[in-house]
Amino acid sequence: MTEPVTTESADSPATPPRRIAPFVVLGVAIVMAALFFVLASGTSGSDDEVGIIDSPLLGRAAPAVRSTTLDGEPFDLARRKGSWVVVNFFNSTCAPCRAEHPALVEFSEQQKSFGADGAELYTMLQINDDIDDVKNFFLTRGGDWPIIRDDEGTTNVAFGVALVPETFIIAPDGTVVLRWAGQIDADTLSRLVQQQREMYAGA
Amino acid sequence: MSSRSKWKRWPGWLALMLVIVCVLAYGTAKEAGPLTPEERVEQITQQIACPVCDGETVYESANPASAAIRAEVKAQVAAGVSSDDEIVAYIVQQFGAQTQLLPTASGFDALVWVLPAAALVCAGVGLFFAFRRWQRNVDAVPDDADRAMVEAALAAEEAAPAEPEQPDQPEGPDDEADTGR
Repeated sequence: MTEPVTTESADSPATPPRRIAPFVVLGVAIVMAALFFVLASGTSGSDDEVGIIDSPLLGRAAPAVRSTTLDGEPFDLARRKGSWVVVNFFNSTCAPCRAEHPALVEFSEQQKSFGADGAELYTMLQINDDIDDVKNFFLTRGGDWPIIRDDEGTTNVAFGVALVPETFIIAPDGTVVLRWAGQIDADTLSRLVQQQREMYAGA
Repeated sequence: MSSRSKWKRWPGWLALMLVIVCVLAYGTAKEAGPLTPEERVEQITQQIACPVCDGETVYESANPASAAIRAEVKAQVAAGVSSDDEIVAYIVQQFGAQTQLLPTASGFDALVWVLPAAALVCAGVGLFFAFRRWQRNVDAVPDDADRAMVEAALAAEEAAPAEPEQPDQPEGPDDEADTGR
């Protein structure tokens, strides 16, 4: 007579969890499997050109850049249409930027030898760089291309540049065609510009 | 007795609910109001992660990229064309999704907002049923079988003398008394 009472009170709370448990386990398993596939199918960096990275700007018109050069000349990127433009984002306190500088000097000389067909090189500063330090750096280390100020930070934001150095290649029609993050050497940069030139001519 | 204690408990819950609803309503209503441009810039930059540093918002970061983003946000706020969300969306578009600190409330990301709320509701409902079940078990009226069990147990307690307390006795009777129970 005592048995029915004890079984009823013990069973009623214990039975439902036993029925739910397999479904809970199944649910957790499905979530884990989904996570595994999401993570496994993530972007795999299989690129032989290590510095080439994605940008929402690729294939689109370059953002408007209206500023002044270090020498006080007005600068408007839109007026550069008609020639290939290479914009290098730079900060005088950044070691890779300083290490990269000889490569840019070499690239600049290479492009000059092409005459009017050569790409134009510009250095874009960051918002809080010390202007005197930049001037000194270019005086001592060479480089006679225009240096563009970005005192409002607008250009760095518009190009999405978070970590210098970065290098953008802009086609004669004003389209951004390539973004390179990190240090680049002169040969790679020349080759990439040449590649883009050929693709542009073929299109 | 059970119905009286139930009624005694209800006003407390109701009062608590009322207070919570009032506080939430006041909190949401209070947020509406004109912000100065500085407050807007502050609010927006706190929603954007510094793109190159770990665990810092653009608001507090000293990085050049963050400084540029701050200046850009300030300029856009001053221009007064874009809403806060549009400014954040612009920055996130340029610098990538990892700069977005608050998940968007649409698409797959909305799960981040929905799941905790759903879990809370499920837990509340589960607790409600669990409490009801426990209460039912507690309120069960003892029947004759229960009374018989209690009486038998009490009789056994009285029948067994309190021998363990006597110091001089050896261990033998102790064992007998234990097995007897």
